[in-house]
Amino acid sequence: MEAKIKQVAAILNPPAPHMVGDGFRVHNFFPSGYKLEMSPFYMLDYNAKIEFSPRNEPRGVGVHPHRGFETVTIAYQGAVAHHDSAGNSGTIYPGDVQWMTAASGILHKEHHEEEFSKKGGIFQMVQLWVNLPAKDKMSTPKYQGIKQNEIQQFTLADNSGIIEIIAGKYRDKKGSANTFSPIEMYNARLNSGGKANFNFAANYNTGIVVIEGKVKINETEIANTNQFVHFKNEGEEIKIEALEQSVLLILSGEPINEPIAAYGPFLMNKPEEIQQAIADYNNGKFGYLDE
Amino acid sequence: MLDRFANYLKNRLNITADQAAEAVSCLKIKTVKKGQILLNAGDLKSEAYFVNSGLLRYFSIDEKGKEHIIQFAPEDWMLSDRDTSIFNEESVFYIDAIEDTEVVIVKKDFFPAIKNIVPEILELNVLMLHNSIRFMQKRINMLLSATAEERYLDFIKLYPNLTLRVPQWMIASYLGITPESLSRVRKDLAKKHFR
Repeated sequence: MEAKIKQVAAILNPPAPHMVGDGFRVHNFFPSGYKLEMSPFYMLDYNAKIEFSPRNEPRGVGVHPHRGFETVTIAYQGAVAHHDSAGNSGTIYPGDVQWMTAASGILHKEHHEEEFSKKGGIFQMVQLWVNLPAKDKMSTPKYQGIKQNEIQQFTLADNSGIIEIIAGKYRDKKGSANTFSPIEMYNARLNSGGKANFNFAANYNTGIVVIEGKVKINETEIANTNQFVHFKNEGEEIKIEALEQSVLLILSGEPINEPIAAYGPFLMNKPEEIQQAIADYNNGKFGYLDE
Repeated sequence: MLDRFANYLKNRLNITADQAAEAVSCLKIKTVKKGQILLNAGDLKSEAYFVNSGLLRYFSIDEKGKEHIIQFAPEDWMLSDRDTSIFNEESVFYIDAIEDTEVVIVKKDFFPAIKNIVPEILELNVLMLHNSIRFMQKRINMLLSATAEERYLDFIKLYPNLTLRVPQWMIASYLGITPESLSRVRKDLAKKHFR
């Protein structure tokens, strides 16, 4: 049976930006910017390209807790340094991905990497919050620092470009990140005129961030730099044609159909689990991390 | 939005939702942005603030320019400076917004003015006053006699989610300890409780 086209539901402009700490100027596409069915992706903050002036003291976000989900940071320009209370640390540069499973609870801090901060320059990032199934919310925290050169690539035909598979599977290439629920996450780096097709189950929630360039979707709709394309839960196939040199972040995943209780940095199923998370954080059960 | 304050009164008085709505109908709402000042030292303002959403801070500034936080007021808290709101004297304290905040302005004459609709309001006002004194007595005792850890443990019981909403130095200022001492307290707790 031939796959049906997954239709575009909406092409959305970036909402007004706000600062996260003093290091990230983000457009929040969801959940507050737009109300979108994107589970298992709970939140998408997009730091569109912006130039930071040089500074000795790196900008960023100080120590804060998380529980019940994963934070995934994808660098496009600039560099971010990370430290957490489980003793993990790392720096991600353009093309790298940091996949942190907060799960039962972690403290972390994120800042511009020192050398980048001193020189200043263009900064562009995505941060996603990926929900965890209830059964995994209290699992042990972990950290996957994924370098661009470790990420498997699929080379498209006709000099169309490449697909970097961060999670899931594209054709015969498997993603680097281990996930708790089925997730497809790719960076598509397409040449002008390049074409790529994607196939996701109809019930998967699916969206694309246009990081660079301009693309035609399903032979009809045009999406520009910094826009978010949200797809309907019908059909499977998405056809992309790059109208310019383009970079796309492609997200698709099986929805986690469980209740949500969210407060600040915690994402649980029930309100009492949020109260517990607050109490545990206050009482030091997330560990300790120096500012 | 006056619903929240109406609901606050309804939950504390034996009145209907309609009576509560009528009682608050004359009140005004004010919104303040994060960082904006509601009360300056030297001001004369006969008003108290009920917090609908957001977070207020009541503080003084000493001769060296250091801030001392007397009280935080998150949602459902009432905050006022007695010098100016009751005694018509210049305030020596400040009130500002730590987050974007919406308040209901409750003037001094509110309670007497609505006693025809809700006679019990005067009793509630007295009870709230006693509660406020009790709070201050306990706070003085903590500042005089408790260790930094005891003060912090009392703080998280009173204001469970403020540790997620305000910077460490403000919590330290409220507790009357240095930010370094607060870090030490939190580190010690983590050592005790981190599995």
